Amino acid sequence: MNLDQFKVAPPSVDWITLLPVILVASTGLVALLIEMFRPKQTNVAIIWTSLIGLGVAAGSLILQMGQPSGDTFAGMALRDPASLVLQLVLVGVCFFTFFFSESYLRERRIPFGEFYPLALWSTAGGMIMVSTENLLMLFIGLEVLSISLYVMAGMARQESKSEESAIKYFLLGAFASAFLLYGIALVYGATGSLHLDQIARAYALNDGLTEKLLIFGVGFMLVGLGFKAALVPFHQWAPDVYQGAPTNVTGFMAAAAKVAAIGALYRVLSGAVDLSGTWMPLLIIIAILTMTIPNLIACQQKNVKRILGYSSIANAGYILVGLLAHLQSPDKIGIETTVFFLVSYALVTIGMFALLTLNARDGKEGTELSDFYGLWNRHPLAAGLMVLFVASLIGIPITGGFFAKLGIFNDAVNAGLTLLAIVLAINSAISCYYYLGIVRAAFVAEETRPQPLGSTMPPGLRFTGIACAVGVLGISFFLTPIQAYLSGKDPNAWTNPPATASTGPSENLSSSTTNPSPDPDPDQDPALTNPGEAPPDQPPADQPPVAEPDEQSPQESSGEAAGESEGTGPAANPAPSR
Amino acid sequence: MPNVPLEMIWWVLGLPLIGFLLQAFLGKKIIDTLGHRYGKKIVGTMAVLPIAAAFLLGIGITANLAQFPPGERNVVLTLFSWIEIMSIKIPFEVVVDPLSMTMVLIITGIGSLIHLYATGYMGDEKDYSRFFTYLNLFIACMLILVLGNNLALLFIGWEGVGVCSYLLIGFWFKDLNNSRAANKAFIVNRIGDVGLTLGMFILVLMMAGNAERLGLTDGRWLSYDVLLPNMVEVFKDQPFLTATVALLLFVGACGKSAQFPLYLWLPDAMAGPTPVSALIHAATMVTAGVFLLNRMSVLFELSPFASAIIAIIGAFTALFAALIAFGQTDIKKVLAYSTVSQLGFMFIACGAGAYWAGMFHVTTHAFFKALLFLGAGAVIYAMAHEQDMRKYGNLLKYLPITGACMLVAWVAISGLAVPFLFGFAGFYSKETILGGALAGQHAIAGGINLGMIAGWVGLLVAMLTAFYMTRMTWMTFFGKQERWRLADGPSHDHGDSHHADHEAHDENAHHAHEDHGPDVHGFFYTEAEMARRAELEEHDHHHDIEPTHEPKEVGPAMWIPLAVLGVLSVIGGWFLYSGDRFKKWLYPNGLTVLPPEVVPKYPEWETLLMFLSIGAALAGVLLGWHFYKKGLPEREGWDLAKWHPFRRAAANQFHYDQKMVDGSLKGGAQLGEMLNRTDKGFIDGMVNGIAWLTGLFGNLLKRFQTGNVRWYAAMMLLGGIGVLGYLWWVALKLGGA
Repeated sequence: MNLDQFKVAPPSVDWITLLPVILVASTGLVALLIEMFRPKQTNVAIIWTSLIGLGVAAGSLILQMGQPSGDTFAGMALRDPASLVLQLVLVGVCFFTFFFSESYLRERRIPFGEFYPLALWSTAGGMIMVSTENLLMLFIGLEVLSISLYVMAGMARQESKSEESAIKYFLLGAFASAFLLYGIALVYGATGSLHLDQIARAYALNDGLTEKLLIFGVGFMLVGLGFKAALVPFHQWAPDVYQGAPTNVTGFMAAAAKVAAIGALYRVLSGAVDLSGTWMPLLIIIAILTMTIPNLIACQQKNVKRILGYSSIANAGYILVGLLAHLQSPDKIGIETTVFFLVSYALVTIGMFALLTLNARDGKEGTELSDFYGLWNRHPLAAGLMVLFVASLIGIPITGGFFAKLGIFNDAVNAGLTLLAIVLAINSAISCYYYLGIVRAAFVAEETRPQPLGSTMPPGLRFTGIACAVGVLGISFFLTPIQAYLSGKDPNAWTNPPATASTGPSENLSSSTTNPSPDPDPDQDPALTNPGEAPPDQPPADQPPVAEPDEQSPQESSGEAAGESEGTGPAANPAPSR
Repeated sequence: MPNVPLEMIWWVLGLPLIGFLLQAFLGKKIIDTLGHRYGKKIVGTMAVLPIAAAFLLGIGITANLAQFPPGERNVVLTLFSWIEIMSIKIPFEVVVDPLSMTMVLIITGIGSLIHLYATGYMGDEKDYSRFFTYLNLFIACMLILVLGNNLALLFIGWEGVGVCSYLLIGFWFKDLNNSRAANKAFIVNRIGDVGLTLGMFILVLMMAGNAERLGLTDGRWLSYDVLLPNMVEVFKDQPFLTATVALLLFVGACGKSAQFPLYLWLPDAMAGPTPVSALIHAATMVTAGVFLLNRMSVLFELSPFASAIIAIIGAFTALFAALIAFGQTDIKKVLAYSTVSQLGFMFIACGAGAYWAGMFHVTTHAFFKALLFLGAGAVIYAMAHEQDMRKYGNLLKYLPITGACMLVAWVAISGLAVPFLFGFAGFYSKETILGGALAGQHAIAGGINLGMIAGWVGLLVAMLTAFYMTRMTWMTFFGKQERWRLADGPSHDHGDSHHADHEAHDENAHHAHEDHGPDVHGFFYTEAEMARRAELEEHDHHHDIEPTHEPKEVGPAMWIPLAVLGVLSVIGGWFLYSGDRFKKWLYPNGLTVLPPEVVPKYPEWETLLMFLSIGAALAGVLLGWHFYKKGLPEREGWDLAKWHPFRRAAANQFHYDQKMVDGSLKGGAQLGEMLNRTDKGFIDGMVNGIAWLTGLFGNLLKRFQTGNVRWYAAMMLLGGIGVLGYLWWVALKLGGA
């Protein structure tokens, strides 16, 4: 018997790549242990442990950002800019969810500490999904993500709605998993490999049967992932589940599951980009439906969670447009805008659902539009934040949502998908109606309920809201570095803004002077810090200057050179003399 | 002098901002916790310190900058890249050069004195910290305006100042007149802003269109260090376009600097509300327009036509406002119109091409006008919030320090001087303006030297200025009558001419505590709202001054700023003028395109001009003294019917304001009516139709959302079959078999 065939060289392992997932998953285990021994009244220890774990995971992600891309574990785990950023988004979503969850769970009388470990594992699953090109890993990640979500959706055991939503989600999710798994099996059959990069190779063989297997394999996978990302026509679970699940779970689900599913869809479609002729028209139709149908229905809804559910479907449509634009011409248009949209979407979603939890009191929760009447009087801060988030959802300038939508619109036009761009614009207009309905409700003066809700805002919730608001407003400053990092134009853009970009926002008080000398030192004598010798044609100080209109006088040219590197400055630039 | 690095400019910009945030978030809490007495002291200190510190830093930076060789006093510092759209880049960058630093010193220096003064003046205010929140933000915005190195930042500061001014004017918003003045200021300023934005757009277009030709690759087209040196190339052989852009920017400057068509807001803004905010407008905000003209001087130099228009509008504004000032009895209104008039002088200078003279007048005017406003505030404070000069008289006896300072300011604004030896602040700046205008050959439109005409008008206005300022001074401080003790006061029954006038022009309050006139235009507030406001205000209503009132000198927090400004008003002009210090400081900026002979230093005029302008000032003072030495003349008393028709017209701004407001409201109403009809018929129909359609589809689609899980699964299956069926079709087509 030849045993040599089992002598496979052990794969090279880069543990650092896996570290974030391991950290998050093991934090979940620790949190579960604490949950077992916790003093029965409080979840504080669990939360802090989880937050620290998530923080460390985020740190390990950020530290990897300068590292070169590549895969490890025999191609099962992948590190590239998109995976790092998406993982960071998932960790952030989990982090902020925890901040406002405790007060909400307490008000809703849902005394389960298991929520925290489950959410952590779910996050770990999502992180696996976005950082692999291996189909089996993708499936495992998806299941880890989903199973935790099924349980979390049914967490409010006393409520039939919550139970119903969990069952619904589970049944349909299982159905979708079957599709996905069948698609994976077909692809494996065609390529003999679970790695996505083999699809292109197999497709290039131009073999009729392989081709068909691949086409159907990708098609089945599309159905499965389309369910997770809630694309029309696989979306129908979303509004019901969003409405039924506890609000913090809904927020987590809307943000994390969407990011993970889109990440996975990106991987699969990128692998199958050679086949794009087959699925591109299909996905264009799906994108149009996904943008339009939920927006139309949302206009008829009266329940805020349901409205946001439909809104999240529509947003999936917008994201799909960005994705398709990238896949239509992968060389010209990067994935940056899509990722940027996801970041901004996650921020707004978490912030918005965090605000919704304000209405929970004594085990009950009002999520109808009318329950938000008088929010402005009760919680001016919350109402203000709500205005901001809604502005970002609509896409009003200076919010992150505006830049995100603008970017996707731009990409769609550049990729030649003008039809999608137009549908996107029309749908943005339609969506104003129901988004503004939410704001309107917050500013209606009279309260409908006999006993007014309390006017305290839990500190964690306040922190989440303000942090998301700062993010939504501040993200536009990070637009350039994010794009630069993702497009790989400058791998160090994240940590070291290039000098030409006139210092990034991370360094607050740094400055580039007109001083052309390479190392301006503010403490030095001004005679030294400035180009010492004035050129001979410098007009004397006490005469009214007669500047030659055609020539730039030296100080302007040096000022102009401020933003450029030295070599490209105009010729009039005086040489630095030290 | 400590060598302050130029990078400290970020602190100059940041300190007022930090002060603003502290005031906004902590101010009220501190006062609530520590009680009114100590809390207010701490809050007041917190408000003054950042501005004062910024001022000190500003001095250090200026001193550092002054050590640079004159040609290199132009340093751009970049904080971060702010806007990058397509190929346009607008970084958040500031420029440190003589012009910006001069403005910074004025803003922070005068600003900190105002803050100090306000801690005293606003001492009884309930919303103490709110006031300082606005003040600090105002200073911050003003600094962004002058320090920003591109027009976009200037615009941010411009609008920020506009908002703060709205908030400050409407600070006592329960008083209807104040709210109305705030609205008016805001609306009128918007008109100016339209001009500014249009001008900016054209500039961007022109730069973008020429960028390739001029080799401007880095896209910072709105930054001064890129924009200004290329202006000549961009606007070469485009006289019409140049004049258009220049005049559009000038419209913006008109709005903010209260020039003739748009001056309306300033007097209203200063009459009712807090004197302190009035002052901060007079000394700082209105100079924004002059600053803009200075900053963009290259553009205006390229267009003699636009310059001529600017000069003549400046001259007309100066004359018009000076005439109106004769009809005013409210001490602050006199100062308000005097401000408008002095701004006219600055525009004469800029129009004539003598930009540095305009900035010079900005500086000296900041000294003495701040002094006048602070002094007037001290008088009003001492007189229990009575602002009508007809109630004053012989106040020098009671308010020696305030009075002395006010006299200094009076001499300074009148422009008195001892020939060849020494002049007060206003003398030098006014003389340079008039000299530049009279001798200049730049502001010529259609063969008419409008700049020179403006100069002669300016000389006349200088005389009028001395005249009405003497009127104010004598009515307030001199004369034997202590008129608040006299029985004849404003008649409060609304049956006499007072009422008629009041009805015709309710903004022009004759009495500081004017009751609410009906809102004749029905524009600002509904009747119900007016009634509610009137009711609210009953509680806060100041009572009339008692005949037994004994004016008392104000506290040190209020007179120290007065004294400082007094000293500056005496020697400031002389110091900056001697040896052409100010001119050498501002120039060269390396940008002037006018050949030197166009704006000569009027050598043959110099002696004559000096005597002319001193003569004008003296004549004005003597005239004033002649008319008002005996106290309040009979024909300027409480009975308006006895007034000279001219003066009555002047009191009403020659009906200009009323006609403008009426006209624009009526026109606006008609336009609105027309649009409304279009809107209802066509657009509403379309919108409602779309909404109806949307609703219909939504309702239809909602049917599919049954909540039934089997149904959902079936739908999914159907969707899946659809997807796969399509792929089947594709595969068939591909495979061919």
